[in-house]
Amino acid sequence: MEHQIHKLENDDLSFREKHSFSLFIVFSIFISSIIVVASMFMYSGSGAAQLDLSRPGYVSVRSQSVVNVDDFKNFPSLGPMNQNVINEFKSSYEKQSQKVKSANAFGGDSLNLDELGLTVILTE
Amino acid sequence: MSKKFIPLFLLVAVFLSSAFILNASAENSNMSDQQVQTILSNCSSTKNTLNQLHASDALLRVNMGQIYESISTKMMNGFNERVSNNKFNNSDLVNTTNDYNLTLNTFRSDYKVYEEHLSSAIKIDCSKQPVAFYDAVSLARSERDRVHADIAKLNQYLDQYKSAIEKFEKDFQSNNGEGKN
Repeated sequence: MEHQIHKLENDDLSFREKHSFSLFIVFSIFISSIIVVASMFMYSGSGAAQLDLSRPGYVSVRSQSVVNVDDFKNFPSLGPMNQNVINEFKSSYEKQSQKVKSANAFGGDSLNLDELGLTVILTE
Repeated sequence: MSKKFIPLFLLVAVFLSSAFILNASAENSNMSDQQVQTILSNCSSTKNTLNQLHASDALLRVNMGQIYESISTKMMNGFNERVSNNKFNNSDLVNTTNDYNLTLNTFRSDYKVYEEHLSSAIKIDCSKQPVAFYDAVSLARSERDRVHADIAKLNQYLDQYKSAIEKFEKDFQSNNGEGKN
């Protein structure tokens, strides 16, 4: 009995020794797969996928993305408060807020079913 | 033990499949053949329009989202802190900024939902599943309306913040006896 257990242990050890490199590769692939799946889950779940213009469907608009928003200066939180500071902030704030307000983003009925030619009259 | 559950599994399976069948038949009964033909004939042009809209809306989300976020992080926060550091009351400004940030988060999540619905609609083969395609586009449309409502709300908070600045300015002038430069 003891002899058999010894033999089994030796067999097991020899299998590990013989295939140690293959086991290492398989284990590495397994760990990598888990990390990739977790990353993809975070990528799609966090909303980053919607902002990723490097995706194939966005080739046509990729060049139009605004990379540099230099006209946005951090308004310093330190410093005195006087009428000039207020005027400066008001003017800068007005400029930036007008930019977004005039764009009227996602306005207009682009998915209007009539315009898309999908108009159907539902029956009772 | 497992044999006891077989009738239960069967019952659940029958219930689920009947629900799917009823749903499918209800959808089909809502559209006449002519209406389905309309969708089929406009299938490819609609797909092209949806693909273009998908791309242009993504660009809009990136560019507008960037500006809306910068207004909060680079301007409102800086000004609120400046007011506070100079021992003035900034509660109106801070409250409006908080509401603005909450709406900005809602906008982000609503856009994500909208994009997912639009992508699903684009993936549906309208030549094979016209009814499902129609339903998916309708759903994406209502989600896009929600995103637009978020934008309108953000713009409203921008106006509200401007009013809060003007109120602060008046208080500042009355406390310091300063006139406008």
